[in-house]
Amino acid sequence: MPDTVPQTGSYMVAAYIVAAVILVGYAIVLARRARRS
Amino acid sequence: MTTGRIGRWMTVIGLLLLAVVYVRALKFTPLEASQGLAQKIFYVHVPAAWSAMLAMGLVGLASILFLFLRDERYDRFAAASAEVGTVFCLIMLMTGPLWARPVWGTWWTWDARLTLTLMLFFIFIGYQLLRGVIPESALRAQYAAVVGICGLVLLPFIHLSVYFFRTLHPQPIILKPSAPSAPPEMVTTLLMSFGVFTLLYIGFVVQRYALGTEGRVDA
Repeated sequence: MPDTVPQTGSYMVAAYIVAAVILVGYAIVLARRARRS
Repeated sequence: MTTGRIGRWMTVIGLLLLAVVYVRALKFTPLEASQGLAQKIFYVHVPAAWSAMLAMGLVGLASILFLFLRDERYDRFAAASAEVGTVFCLIMLMTGPLWARPVWGTWWTWDARLTLTLMLFFIFIGYQLLRGVIPESALRAQYAAVVGICGLVLLPFIHLSVYFFRTLHPQPIILKPSAPSAPPEMVTTLLMSFGVFTLLYIGFVVQRYALGTEGRVDA
């Protein structure tokens, strides 16, 4: 067990943002495609 | 309520539950001491991988059914599942390196699991490209079905690659013959995330399938 916990929070934040942006973005794309016609 | 609207509501609920999973992962799930917060990427990366593989598995099964039964509903479902699977595969491929960089010291390595996963992404992309370039619908469905079956065949190799080859990638935590090798709080959060990503997959596919049946996209 290491003495100090590695400071890797920025990678986690980036990953969570990437996942949320892609999922919300695709949901918006589908909604716009449905509304278009 | 139309099918598309049902899918939209499932997606909205799924996105709200994703926020709940984020909060649970950050506040109510223990910190892994050797990796720090980067370990929590696992709660997004693994369920995204599950959804991508579920999507390709169903593309393959629908493709087999289409080739046997010639029912175009299976082809439309395969097209919907492939598009949604591409989204989850992209999340998997983007979150994986964000975990690998602090833990392995490199963004990417050409080992069996990662390379086969990249091949899965290329099959998803190839499937969409193929559908885009063939104007004749019967021929398009036939060729796409063959690509879909190739994707299905790839899945067991991806899952078992960590056993067959020397690889940096961790072995399965849940989908393995023995009990889960993580504390119960971590397993609960992971299972919640699996549920949310599966709900999002279903919500997206229902919406995308409805677009295909209503002729709003080239199925």
